[in-house]
Amino acid sequence: MSVERHHVQEENVGAYLLSALTEIEQRTFEQHLDDCPVCQDEVDRLRPAVHALPRSVDPVDPPARLKTSLMAAVKADATEAAGEASRHGMARRVRERIAGLNDALMGMRPGVAWVAASIVLLTGVLAGATGLYAISGVNTEEDRPQAITAKVDKTRVPNGSGSLVLPADARDGAVLRVHGLPTLENDSVYQVWLERRGEVISQSTFTVGEDGEGAAAVTDSLESADAVMITRERAPEAKAPTEDSIVRVAL
Amino acid sequence: MIRSVGVLRTPLGGMKRQDDIQSLADEEVMHLVQEGDPRAFELLYDRHGGPAFSLAYRMVGNRVTAEDVSQEAFLSIWRSRARYQADRGSVRTWVLGIVHHRAIDALRRNLVHEKRRSSAEGIEERFEAKETTPGEAARREEARSVRTALEELPDEQTRVIELAYFGGFSHSQIADMLEMPIGTVKGRMRLGLDKLRRTLAGVAA
Repeated sequence: MSVERHHVQEENVGAYLLSALTEIEQRTFEQHLDDCPVCQDEVDRLRPAVHALPRSVDPVDPPARLKTSLMAAVKADATEAAGEASRHGMARRVRERIAGLNDALMGMRPGVAWVAASIVLLTGVLAGATGLYAISGVNTEEDRPQAITAKVDKTRVPNGSGSLVLPADARDGAVLRVHGLPTLENDSVYQVWLERRGEVISQSTFTVGEDGEGAAAVTDSLESADAVMITRERAPEAKAPTEDSIVRVAL
Repeated sequence: MIRSVGVLRTPLGGMKRQDDIQSLADEEVMHLVQEGDPRAFELLYDRHGGPAFSLAYRMVGNRVTAEDVSQEAFLSIWRSRARYQADRGSVRTWVLGIVHHRAIDALRRNLVHEKRRSSAEGIEERFEAKETTPGEAARREEARSVRTALEELPDEQTRVIELAYFGGFSHSQIADMLEMPIGTVKGRMRLGLDKLRRTLAGVAA
């Protein structure tokens, strides 16, 4: 580390801590930080002041729907992850069973070995067919999340895709996940609607990040629902859709 | 079929019923979150969702965007929960750091800045929160003491710190807005943070 480089970077300490450097400047500073104990000490010394700044803000209550929507997405994630873990566990158990079978077959006569292998593998297949989830002892069959692929209007959202992740019980609502949606202007939001017997009911609004990904809760029961759909509306939300849906999940 | 029975394993290896997690420290709750437990995450949100939303609201200036920022931040916290390291700061600091970055992303990707830039006093004249809820007196008091410490800084230092931290402006944008050299902006940021640190340490002592 050169002294000259240190002097150049040292003056960035405050801006770095306040997230006021550009991305490139930040990367350069962090590279310098790795090698410079003086700047590391200075960052550590000043950091408590930055950590105090958010505490200067007066408390404001978040809307209740934020928690509802967030927890719906998190629970869907957790259920999906549990399903994944269960599937991996099943695959591992089958692999172990086959490995164990190989060991056991080593000492058998060929005809006996073939019959034994068939029985063990058939048991494994039947176990898989009758429910991967029951085997794990963690989730039940009815916990298994299902996803319905959404139909996207590609003329208006060329890169869009999405799916509706359903919980075990349709009365619990669902989570709509989207990918590849464009970010909207500040005064616009994506709005989720539930269509039931000709009536269209607002569910939630959301925006997407730069990666085009987003998730929103369908809070009403899906029982007797015909479809879940998304439109683009002016913030904070519309009372009724002002355009044809850009994403639609038929139920 | 076997169902889980609402019992959680604590970092100490014991078993905790759901009712008991309310008494766990943040770091212990975070340990359960890292194990993928949505109930622990809900508790984490209950504890820090308010400050997170307040910070987002202070930065972006409207409830809808603040809600989006908070939602994105907490989903990111859930999905990157493995990255939390207890030895690098409190859970509250970690959560608010993520909210801060998300709010800056939101500010930089939409027109909020453009609208604010047209008003030189935009940052200061924003929203005084009007909502009050029971049990928030301590947080209001804490907010008051940190604000007092900020107000004790020379105005030019307070201004660059607020524009950067709450406004999400880069040092060069601030230099343009205040018509001063970038080096001066950076210097004031550093001096201001140093003085704030000393003042707060004095308050604490």
